[in-house]
Amino acid sequence: MTSSLTPSNAPWSDLLLRATAELREVYQRHIPELDSAAHEDFSKLFESALRLDRMISAEVLDRHELRNILSALQGYGEMLREDLGALHPELDATLTRLLRAAQAANEGEQESEPESDDSGERSIASEPGFILAVDDLQENRELVARYLSRSGHMVVTASGGGEALQTLEQADVDVVLLDLMMPDMDGREVLRRIKEHPDWRATPVIVISGRQDMDGIIECIEAGADDYLFKPFNPVLLQARIKAGIERKRWHDREELYRQQLERNEKFIRATFGRYLSDEIVTDILERPEGLELGGDLRRVTIMMADIRGFTSIVEHLAPDQVVTLINRYLAAMTDIIMAHQGTIDEFIGDAILAVFGAPQHRDDDADRAARCALEMQAAMDAINHSNREDGLPEIQTAIALNTGDVIAGNIGSERRSKYGFVGHPMNVTSRIEDVTPGGEVLIADSTLNELQGSYRTEAIPEPLQVKGIDEALVVHRLLEEKA
Amino acid sequence: MSKTILLVEDNELNRDMLVRRLSRAGLDVITAGNGEEALEQMRSAQPGVVLMDMNLPVMDGWTACRKAREEDAIAEIPIVALTAHASAEDRKTAMDAGCCEYATKPIDFPELLAKIKKLQGDD
Repeated sequence: MTSSLTPSNAPWSDLLLRATAELREVYQRHIPELDSAAHEDFSKLFESALRLDRMISAEVLDRHELRNILSALQGYGEMLREDLGALHPELDATLTRLLRAAQAANEGEQESEPESDDSGERSIASEPGFILAVDDLQENRELVARYLSRSGHMVVTASGGGEALQTLEQADVDVVLLDLMMPDMDGREVLRRIKEHPDWRATPVIVISGRQDMDGIIECIEAGADDYLFKPFNPVLLQARIKAGIERKRWHDREELYRQQLERNEKFIRATFGRYLSDEIVTDILERPEGLELGGDLRRVTIMMADIRGFTSIVEHLAPDQVVTLINRYLAAMTDIIMAHQGTIDEFIGDAILAVFGAPQHRDDDADRAARCALEMQAAMDAINHSNREDGLPEIQTAIALNTGDVIAGNIGSERRSKYGFVGHPMNVTSRIEDVTPGGEVLIADSTLNELQGSYRTEAIPEPLQVKGIDEALVVHRLLEEKA
Repeated sequence: MSKTILLVEDNELNRDMLVRRLSRAGLDVITAGNGEEALEQMRSAQPGVVLMDMNLPVMDGWTACRKAREEDAIAEIPIVALTAHASAEDRKTAMDAGCCEYATKPIDFPELLAKIKKLQGDD
């Protein structure tokens, strides 16, 4: 007898553990047919096999102890074969395999495996994952843990369904390896709970069962299992399935992260623009995010400025609450109209409104919408004044100016306080036009007139405006109505 | 001559297995867990054959063997050494200590049984 046994000879250890796991499975199926003496012998046999396996895998080898355990394993194995071999050929075959595996481990030479597979030869490279192996049989748990931790995975085991669910609650598991036949909570039940749980649903579940349980496996795949393995499983197949499972999980995690980012972006955009923009525009921006740039950028926009003529002198004669009623009624009506035309309300300064068409999102009909919006705002003044008269409030007139030009649009301000706003000379020009616009009228700059696509009735204002910073006088037009 | 076998083995798994197997073979088995206990059992039970592991706690198998050979009452009881070592030197050490037979672990049971029968028959 040679003793070239060294702890590093892991393949024998695998072989032994596999044979033990396999015998345990077969034994479990035969339990009802066996007497108590056989159960006793089996329990000693399994104990010996596990002790032996642990010793082979240990760093330091106690050869004397090893031979004792091997002797015990062999003795129980032979006794069981003597007693049961003739009656139970399946038990006989698995017992023989276990005895051979033990002998091979002892003699330090690997026997050819009963079932040819290339365990230990090929290994599948995979991103390391966190694997939960659920099996009521210790050998199976140990075997899975050994195979998978050798390929770099973190393996945590659970001996039953309850324990498995607890682990899922505490850790972010990448793949669940689930035995179907378990006493405390059936694998199907564990699977059902995983697939019903909002956070676990996406965790891939690989179910493991015997070849005789094909129906159970089909049932599980219908219930959401991602993959399956037959016992006794081929280690390379196990690694491949685990790898595929990890990849599925990682893909899902990335998608989930991306979705959360989008959601955060959406919240940010709604918070940033919700006050100035109609829901429709915000949704539109969210659906076509490429059209939106928050950083400062040059935009061609049509600027609208509106205010109530003579407002300062009007409010002098009113009580504060009347002022608020008056201005809110006006601003509410104007806001609705501007939003209905997809304008961006930049700000209210007292009774003055600054709105922009064409930012944050450019559309080809920006100038047209601004023009129609302005006409509709003027048209709405009748109803406002009607309400004012009813409430004993003064009638008011608004003056609206439109101008089209390139402005810088972006988040303007400091970190503490910033808002989406607009800067540029066209803003000042609009303000200048608005200054000269009479109440009840809409004045538009040449630049806006040129951008209009629909036909409108306009009339030129005879005297061009002088604007600071511009040499040429500014030609403006009175916007009267849109032609049908 | 007594049909009783004394099995001296500190490893519980192997001891239980051997007790069970020897009993199934129709032998009466008593046990001891170390060399000192073995000597006590040999004196009181006068077994027909002793199966003795050599690596024992408290008093090892070799010492127990030598002491047994020096004690008239038990000097003639045949002792089979059970060892994990298969070398000729190991065998000689056991024989020098006073063992008359030698078996290596893992135990080849039919062979061991044959040796026991032979020793029982010899008497």
